[in-house]
Amino acid sequence: MSKSNVELMAHLMRRAGFGATRTELDQLADRNYEEVVEDLLHPGEADSLPDDLIRRYHVDQHELRQADSAAAYWVYRMATTACPLEEKLALFWHGLFATGYTKLNQARTLLNQIDMFRHRGLGSFRELLIELSKDPAMIVWLDNENNHKTAINENYGRELLELFSMGIGSYTEDDVKECARAFTGWTLKNAEYMSQRAMKDSIWPYGRISWHFEYRGHDHDDGEKTFLGETGRFDGEDVIAIIVRHESTARFVCTRLFQYFAADEVDSDAEPVIREMMDSYMESDYEIRSVLRTLFNSDYFRSDAVRLARVKGPVELVIGALRQAGMCSEPVLDINDIANQASYMGQGLLNPPTVEGWHEGIEWINSGALVDRVNFVAAWLGDTANPGVRAMIDRMAEMDGGVLSPEELVDGCLDTLGPLRVSDETRASLVEVASREGEVKLRGNDGADDERVAEILRLAASTPAYQLA
Amino acid sequence: MVVASAPVEYLKTIGIVNNGFNGRGFANPYDTAHDRAGRIYVLNRCDVARRTAIRVGICNLDEDYLGEFGYGAGGGDGQMVLPVAMAFDSRDRLYVTDEYNHRVSVFDSDGKFLEKWGVRGSGPDRINGPAGIAIDDADNVYVADQHNHRIQKFTADGEWIGGWGAPGSGEGEFNMPWGVAMDGAGSIYVADWRNDRVQKFSPDGSFLASFGSGGGPEGLIRPSSVAVDDRGSVYVADWGNERVQIFTPDGSFSKTLRGQATLSKWAKDFLAANPDEQATRDISDLRPKLPPHLNTPDHLSSQIEPYFWGPVSVRFDHSQRLFVTETNRHRLQIYSTT
Amino acid sequence: MGSRRQEPSLVVIQLSGGNDYLNTIVPYNDGEYYDYRPTVNIESERVLPIDDEYGFNPNMRAIKELYDDGKVAVINGIGYPEPNRSHFRSMDIWHTALPEDIGVEGWLGRATRELDPGGENVLTAVNFGRGLPRALGVRGVPVASVGNLESYGLFPDLQDEKLRRYALEAFAKMYGGERGRDAVMDFLGQTGTDALKGADLLRTAVDKYESGVEYAASPIGQSLRDAAKVMFADLGTRIFYTQQGSYDTHSGELATHGSLIGEMSAGVSDFYADLKEHGREDDTALLIFSEFGRRIKDNGSGTDHGSGGVAFVIGGSVRGGMYGEYPSLKEERQLEGDLHYNNDFRSTYSTILERWLHVEASPIVNGHFEQFDFISNGSGNGSGNGSGAAN
Repeated sequence: MSKSNVELMAHLMRRAGFGATRTELDQLADRNYEEVVEDLLHPGEADSLPDDLIRRYHVDQHELRQADSAAAYWVYRMATTACPLEEKLALFWHGLFATGYTKLNQARTLLNQIDMFRHRGLGSFRELLIELSKDPAMIVWLDNENNHKTAINENYGRELLELFSMGIGSYTEDDVKECARAFTGWTLKNAEYMSQRAMKDSIWPYGRISWHFEYRGHDHDDGEKTFLGETGRFDGEDVIAIIVRHESTARFVCTRLFQYFAADEVDSDAEPVIREMMDSYMESDYEIRSVLRTLFNSDYFRSDAVRLARVKGPVELVIGALRQAGMCSEPVLDINDIANQASYMGQGLLNPPTVEGWHEGIEWINSGALVDRVNFVAAWLGDTANPGVRAMIDRMAEMDGGVLSPEELVDGCLDTLGPLRVSDETRASLVEVASREGEVKLRGNDGADDERVAEILRLAASTPAYQLA
Repeated sequence: MVVASAPVEYLKTIGIVNNGFNGRGFANPYDTAHDRAGRIYVLNRCDVARRTAIRVGICNLDEDYLGEFGYGAGGGDGQMVLPVAMAFDSRDRLYVTDEYNHRVSVFDSDGKFLEKWGVRGSGPDRINGPAGIAIDDADNVYVADQHNHRIQKFTADGEWIGGWGAPGSGEGEFNMPWGVAMDGAGSIYVADWRNDRVQKFSPDGSFLASFGSGGGPEGLIRPSSVAVDDRGSVYVADWGNERVQIFTPDGSFSKTLRGQATLSKWAKDFLAANPDEQATRDISDLRPKLPPHLNTPDHLSSQIEPYFWGPVSVRFDHSQRLFVTETNRHRLQIYSTT
Repeated sequence: MGSRRQEPSLVVIQLSGGNDYLNTIVPYNDGEYYDYRPTVNIESERVLPIDDEYGFNPNMRAIKELYDDGKVAVINGIGYPEPNRSHFRSMDIWHTALPEDIGVEGWLGRATRELDPGGENVLTAVNFGRGLPRALGVRGVPVASVGNLESYGLFPDLQDEKLRRYALEAFAKMYGGERGRDAVMDFLGQTGTDALKGADLLRTAVDKYESGVEYAASPIGQSLRDAAKVMFADLGTRIFYTQQGSYDTHSGELATHGSLIGEMSAGVSDFYADLKEHGREDDTALLIFSEFGRRIKDNGSGTDHGSGGVAFVIGGSVRGGMYGEYPSLKEERQLEGDLHYNNDFRSTYSTILERWLHVEASPIVNGHFEQFDFISNGSGNGSGNGSGAAN
């Protein structure tokens, strides 16, 4: 394996997943890049922490009444899945089709939506939009239960066009109205009672009642509609079929995927990549898998310039640190608190602030959030009690007979957490700390120097570079 | 000999969700215990984020709420973190297991803390993650030692007497056992949770029989609790299937209960104070048919309110009434069996 | 204690979960109250009377004393049109001052931007608690959120003081050194440096604090003591935010509500004593609010989500008394079984913003609202409060 291959795999896993441990990278670096991409694009068994163990320990993650419990449940999945792209992509769709707890008071139904993203997220965009339009959480989030044959509510029809598929400027106000008409009667079972309970945040008498889709034919307007220049007795599925054919939709979806996985800024080098992604979208019958294959295999994505250049989102940061620290292979008491940390950093899972999702990139960073971000990763990656940290120390004990100079210790820690590339000043300040007590002996020393490694791991995790993906 | 199946009749529902720290209603109830005066003790496990509300609530069959006791979350006297199960001894002392603190706490029937015992570990006299508990007529205490995959037997004061079991799936072996129960003859039944079966043992721990394993429509998935009526019929909280399975004394399958909750007195009070919710509830179908992708026991129970959801405990009171505790619906469904 | 005039500051206490108005200011002479509340009522003889009709909850003795001193404005019947009875949504409405739509900017975040337009002081607004309440959230406006004042800052889990110092020194170099690579790195470096500076300042607040007041050990008492520490350290903080709860008393209300409202009352009283000791009572106003009141009829054990509530404004420069109108309990005057609000919460916000913090209210609260006159401009040492002139 080559160092450059390790760095390439580290990049791929940070972007298409939540990062990898150094040991995982060694295995990946022996493999062909395109093959690894194909594996990511074809998720199999998630092999995450099993539901029965979670539910026996966390009674609230069986009931899934509370938002924090549901977020914690998803954290377990993200932190332990063998199919990281499946979760990373679900997180992408969650940000794009942003549906939030605060209006719904329905954590389980939101998780059902996330599960739908897992099943549909790599497939046809057309089918994804159909499922989204039938998703009861989305229906209530954008008021489609109030979209009646006799009195339309445009909210869902508008956001479907503006925020979920084409982008503003590609359709008229009349198209919005016709689109809304096509979705009349798409509601949820017991809509009156369920929306009232949501409005009042009622858990009485016996806890939440979860939701599912219902089509009310008598409330559906099946009259003729003219939508984006086409005329017919369209229903929601017909409207979606028209939407996904449009080039503006291809551009919208491909650009958003590009920004999430490759780079925040779409510069002139990016434009040809997005064009290729759009071609893949059209040629594959709107298959997201094909679009992502084109992106991940592009020279642009693999290039040095895009690596460690994007601010990690809070969930990415938290999950990445948990995975490197080897956590969550069994239930832990304070998992809700761990999930809350991402919320303190500005990204509450299942609770995006508005339908526009989160503002990503540099906007994740402010002084309060940065303190929380650094404290979280420093605490988890600087604790020798965590199995992943233990493994890092054991790995370093295999280097140079287990005796490491301060420089070797610093380089070893930066390598094991990334590999991370840092400025000369940053490396020098780490070496300064490491030099205070000379070389470390990691073999035949009864672990006496383990805490010194942890000290440098803690600081290496606190570097600006670790904040980036 | 043919044994007639138990005449099981639904009686009523007690409970309402309580997201607070006191007062009537339950917060993720996990087990019941029944004193001779007909008082029902309900263990509120709560969840970790709201663990300061952990308490035992007391009510009766007429749905009078009689009070509660709790000492907060933690490791101090009377405190708990992950309480699992309860049982009374012959002197009306209430024993409560805690799978996080690895111990048993003992209270009098008014809730006064008396003592606690149990030391975490894997040695012969230690416990790790104590779950189900049952107490025989001589006040011997049987505890499901979850993470050591065995049953431990103690005196009333926590002195270790013996135990049996080892990790595995063979006869007399366990995988994370949960509920424990006893029949009139002193035989011991264990909900062998991750082996998807119930095992029956003689009082000295010899293997006698196994129920419900082998899959199929009647098979158990992750059973959490077991209870035996006066005639020897065996009731199992089939947690993974969100139902209660009933077996004849010889171990043949007899009947399934899926749950048929009605409005408790407290639920009716709530709806009377909230007529807006009563009105929309009245036009709802609370037993809807679900689409195929939501057709698992857990999804069904999350959407069909009368069904059991999270049945974690089956227990009998002194009048042979069966109490099914549903942690996710914060209520008890009660059946007569005589 | 000697003092100099300070710029006016606002301390907000959010009573989370929906405080039961009827059992906070009790209409003890109204038979309908006892009819609708057969179980969850306060006996008339226990009420602390304000007048012949209304009185404080008996656990609010400390606030009642401040009321008798003329320092407490009780805003009766506060709310907004088409009340929402979901905790999150209704709290969002109070936080964003936008009942009709899902708002993005918090009203106090906007106020902070007006008070410190350059965003120069990361401590202009400080929240005491984890996470940032939406009321304080506006993109680009720095706000500090302090979970634990004693350990606030980087590496709070490092117990060893020497190791922590090394780590902080290294952090300062790593973030101070990353300049000129690219915009993202520069921004991270600057933010890291700012974060260190803010944490150092807050640490001085702990060290400098001296007070003869012994706060009650309740969580709200401790939060208010932390607020006092920051306030008296003169770090330029103008807005302090904290919360107490949960007031979501669907069951066993009398015990829970009584103890919460009592702890709040005692905490406010301790804080007020501390303000007086430090000569700051005339420069400080407290706003106490909740996202909604509760249903008029009890449910046999507690009360459910309702609308129409009560807020309090307390301070040395507050003109005490009853404001707004106490809503009628008569069935025809109810709003879907709840108390009918008669004044928009944005009236109270506007009063505080314009008459106390001296910033224009309408862009912050999304409209023009009639104001109360609970701010007494000529009170205290009579210098025209918050004319902006410190010293």
